[in-house]
Amino acid sequence: MKKYRRPVQIVILLLVVILGGYAIGSAVLGSHDRLQVGDKAPSFSLLGIDGRVHHLKEYEGKAMVINFWGSWCKPCVKEMPALQQQAEKWKDKGVVVLGINAGEDEMTVQNFAEDRGVTFPILLDPNSDAVRDYNISPLPTTFFVSAKGNITSIHQGELDLNTLDSQIGQLVAP
Amino acid sequence: MISNTKCECGHQNRVGTVLCEACGKPLIELGEAGEVLEMRYDGAARRSQRANPNFIDQIWNFFSSVKVAIYLIILTLLGAMLGTVFPQVSTFINLQNPEEYYKKTYGTLGGIYYSLGLADTYNSWWFILLLVMIGSSLVICSLDRVLPLYKALSKQKIKKHMEFLTRQRVVYQGPILERAEEWIRRATPVLKKKGYRVHSEGAALLAEKQRFSRWGPYVIHIGLIIFLLAVLFRGLPGLHMDEYVSFPEGEAKRIPGTTFYLKNEQFTVNYYSEKELPKEFQNTGKMLPKLFQTKAVLYECTSSCEDPSKTPVLKEVARHDIEVNKPLDYKGLVAYQYDFDLTPKLRSVQPVLVNKVTGEEYGKFKLDMMNPKRSYTLGPYTLELKNKYMDFMLNDDGEPTSKSPNPNAPAFLFLVKGPDLPKEGAQFIYFPKQIDKARFQQDLINEKLGGIEKKLDLDVKAMSDVDFAKSTSFLNIRMDRAMPFVWTGLAIVMLGLVLGFYWTHRRIWLRIDDGQLTLGGHTTKNFFGLRREVVSILKPLGVEVDEKSLDNGRNQE
Repeated sequence: MKKYRRPVQIVILLLVVILGGYAIGSAVLGSHDRLQVGDKAPSFSLLGIDGRVHHLKEYEGKAMVINFWGSWCKPCVKEMPALQQQAEKWKDKGVVVLGINAGEDEMTVQNFAEDRGVTFPILLDPNSDAVRDYNISPLPTTFFVSAKGNITSIHQGELDLNTLDSQIGQLVAP
Repeated sequence: MISNTKCECGHQNRVGTVLCEACGKPLIELGEAGEVLEMRYDGAARRSQRANPNFIDQIWNFFSSVKVAIYLIILTLLGAMLGTVFPQVSTFINLQNPEEYYKKTYGTLGGIYYSLGLADTYNSWWFILLLVMIGSSLVICSLDRVLPLYKALSKQKIKKHMEFLTRQRVVYQGPILERAEEWIRRATPVLKKKGYRVHSEGAALLAEKQRFSRWGPYVIHIGLIIFLLAVLFRGLPGLHMDEYVSFPEGEAKRIPGTTFYLKNEQFTVNYYSEKELPKEFQNTGKMLPKLFQTKAVLYECTSSCEDPSKTPVLKEVARHDIEVNKPLDYKGLVAYQYDFDLTPKLRSVQPVLVNKVTGEEYGKFKLDMMNPKRSYTLGPYTLELKNKYMDFMLNDDGEPTSKSPNPNAPAFLFLVKGPDLPKEGAQFIYFPKQIDKARFQQDLINEKLGGIEKKLDLDVKAMSDVDFAKSTSFLNIRMDRAMPFVWTGLAIVMLGLVLGFYWTHRRIWLRIDDGQLTLGGHTTKNFFGLRREVVSILKPLGVEVDEKSLDNGRNQE
């Protein structure tokens, strides 16, 4: 028995450190309910208006701009051209612009995208799954996500071309 | 003090041993010499007591101290008190700006309270740290004591040192006339009758009963550790959920983060009639609800669950009428009635196409508000749905647009083709709600669009052709998978308490030296009961003794 004493002590203390560290760590890191800069972008799988299911996973390794919008929301409509322009500009540098529509149906969204000449992927979120996971309250809200999948900036409200350009610039810069 | 660990009986004891492991002779005087012996852990050394503790031993010793454990418990209690000063953030639903809320509601003190992180005391790092430390202390304290105690109790020597016997709290000494072995043989059945297990060796005897009650405290500790682990890891993904979800009547809606769907088949709210209300409330216009009820059906998705391009396959798993305090409960997923909204929501209409000139009617076709079909063939006519506006309005440029995503004032723009119409078709806007038709002047818009309002119209013939979600029920969906562990832990705690409270570990040592009987008795509690038992054991053996005289009250005066 005696010779097992030391290993038993070490195992128990290690367990305390691991379990306790996990509990304290998750209390420190996971205590906030809302998404913050530095958090991992929550995953989603949503149907796009192109008829394909888009997963966050498939964009791994690419810098992303995720824009939550609705056709009834005026600032969202206003910033669409800027987003479209930036999507085209940064496409070759590996930046993906995604639009997630908050709760409207396919027809409304499709018509909207056609009318405004939006060509970047637009995803439908009929059950507000992504809206919930991303804690969206006002529209539009735009998330800038690094190639590593971390949120580097959250912008609530309308984005103008210049802000958008500089934000994406920072995202791509090493 | 702890240098000499070898007893005069020749037994080599471990460092820190209080009473010789073999004969029971006191090695270390914890109190004054000659006092009643300290019998905790049967005088065995705690495991961690060492001559030269190293770093790991020092940490171990810190947690193995009962004093430290008590301080930790006091600190935790004080910390827990802080969390009761103001409401915790976790008790609010949808608190947008907690810092401002605390400042506004509770003043400067509230602001300080929030900035110190006390608004979420029970999830703060220091509170969790305290719990973790209490947990470690529980494990280490128990291990450090239970193993030596177990060993001490499982290899007891029958013949104990004279001093060990005379310094127990129950002591009797007196002469006997018989031979020692004879007396012991006679005593054995008497003790056995009282439920003792008797071991004898020559002129010495040990009788013992209900040893298991000694494990009570350690059983309590095991329960507490399970309880603590369950509480600390309640937050692991998938173990805990507390969500508020709206369920419009008649639609199966997914419960976020699960594969379950819930359908609100019917929501009912009844109010107290004027007569039923107490006097103070009568004629005040107060409406007090008597009953909210959601007829709910719970489905589990069996396939195509994660693919939004496919319709999920649902299987009904539970059905319950949810009322306040009567939640639906399915395998730990609990849905409570929380709120309701009686605003009706239009879901679909089934109009017919009317030829205004001939009076002929075509169709009845179903026009859904969400994801409607794109084209309809009605008699000689085809209707192609071009666009739809859920909350119709004209923007500053005079273009039709939607004010919100909710079907408050839905409008549908069709391209109609057929006899007497232009070849490329004519546009026609349709407002399903009568009130919107007038408000937005459907005819006037149609006149501008191409003027077919004189030839054709869409008309809903009966109220049965209109489908409404009459109301929306808000449910609080909760899941707490850690609860069974909490209950298990508490049940074990209860078991330990019962073991320790309702049974006592009693031991009686006897030795006979030259016609002199010495008896020592020990119990974990209720010495009065033990003395009485000793009297009733000695009596049939021919030793009359007064109960009080057995009390070795050396340290009681």
